[in-house]
Amino acid sequence: MLLGLRLLHVGVPLFFPDTRPGPFTLTSLDDVRRRVGFAPLVPAYRPAALGDRPSSLTVWLSPQPTFVIVWRGENYLSVTQRRGGAMPVHPPTSQPLPDVTDSTWWRDGPRYHLVLKRDEFWIEVETDLPSRDLKRIADTLTAY
Amino acid sequence: MIPAYWYSPLFSFLWQVVLHSSIMGVIFYAWAHRVRLPSGRPKRLLLTLLLVLPLLTAAVPGRTGLEFRERLAWLDSGRVLAVPLLAGARLYHVVLVVAVMMVALTAWQEILPALRRPKTSIADVPERLARLALSLPGWDRCRVVLTPSEDILVATGGRPGHSRLIVSQGALGRLTEDELATVVRHEHAHWQAGRWIRSHALFVVRLLQCYNPVALWSFREYCLEVEIECDAEAVSGRDPRLLTRTLLRIYESTDRRDVAARSALRKRVDVLLDGGRRDEALPVPTIAVASSVLLVILPWVV
Repeated sequence: MLLGLRLLHVGVPLFFPDTRPGPFTLTSLDDVRRRVGFAPLVPAYRPAALGDRPSSLTVWLSPQPTFVIVWRGENYLSVTQRRGGAMPVHPPTSQPLPDVTDSTWWRDGPRYHLVLKRDEFWIEVETDLPSRDLKRIADTLTAY
Repeated sequence: MIPAYWYSPLFSFLWQVVLHSSIMGVIFYAWAHRVRLPSGRPKRLLLTLLLVLPLLTAAVPGRTGLEFRERLAWLDSGRVLAVPLLAGARLYHVVLVVAVMMVALTAWQEILPALRRPKTSIADVPERLARLALSLPGWDRCRVVLTPSEDILVATGGRPGHSRLIVSQGALGRLTEDELATVVRHEHAHWQAGRWIRSHALFVVRLLQCYNPVALWSFREYCLEVEIECDAEAVSGRDPRLLTRTLLRIYESTDRRDVAARSALRKRVDVLLDGGRRDEALPVPTIAVASSVLLVILPWVV
């Protein structure tokens, strides 16, 4: 019985790949729309310290379609784009980023966090870049 | 993939109760079949566990996150629910349809009959019947009521301390005094040894799982086992053929389309003719070990 259940767990995604919620690792931004059904929002502002290319592109299909892009060079930047669902968890001390609508940000040790609402999407930014770069990242988010 | 609501705490819990009770039901059924488990206490215990344990294993926290489902779970049922069928439908659509049907079935078979109780009257209750009921232990305040139905119907209702014995005109007319006494003893047995409270507690558990077909089945089996237990108590120290004959008469007067009722009556007759229930068929420690193993394993299925 237990072996049969395990066989289902392993076997079903082999025949029906989209039955898995994720994570799925992608190699190109071109694949994101096909897998999650929306265009990824990517910051045009990317300092050279992040590296030339993103270190990982990952998507989840459930509970909400989600895209995560990470740069890892001398500095670190992660942008998570989720369609729908509740607002990402944030501490009560978080506050709006000046001149950026529907935003809240906070510091957690050496890292800064920013949560944005853009149409039907929640965007979470996590980085160890200087705090002034949060606004630049928010302002230059564009659909790929 | 399945919609996000399947991952919400309540929906996920309700589905996992069905999933765990289905797995447990298959295991217990195969076990009972293999050891040819007869009616008796072990069978009632297995059915009780089947109703109660999934509520516990499905409530174990920290298992609904994707991290657990993808990396730790033995089976993520979300993958199975997401299997595509025809015309855009997936397996989870079938599960939803079955759940809605079960809720409708519960309303039709259990709630509507409760609202359409037959009219009863305390007038014209035969003296001998009232005396017989009141002479039974714990029934000194029992109310005997009559229904005008011409079917053979003897049932019990009420609550502890306020029990009621319901007898139809058909039963009074067609059963002999000895047969009626045996049937009344059967009804009285429902109020003995904590059977009333256990049955009603499990009924509440069953109502909470009104969408769960396994719970519906296991509660019906449990009720049948209680009837068999009460039969055994009614004929204790007496000739079981008396009750067997009575049950056969009720069987013959039951509508042929009422397959479930006729099947239950036939089973009760078979058990009576077979020498009654067997309470030592499966040791309780063995059942306890099996249940503990399932308690540990099932939370890894989400």
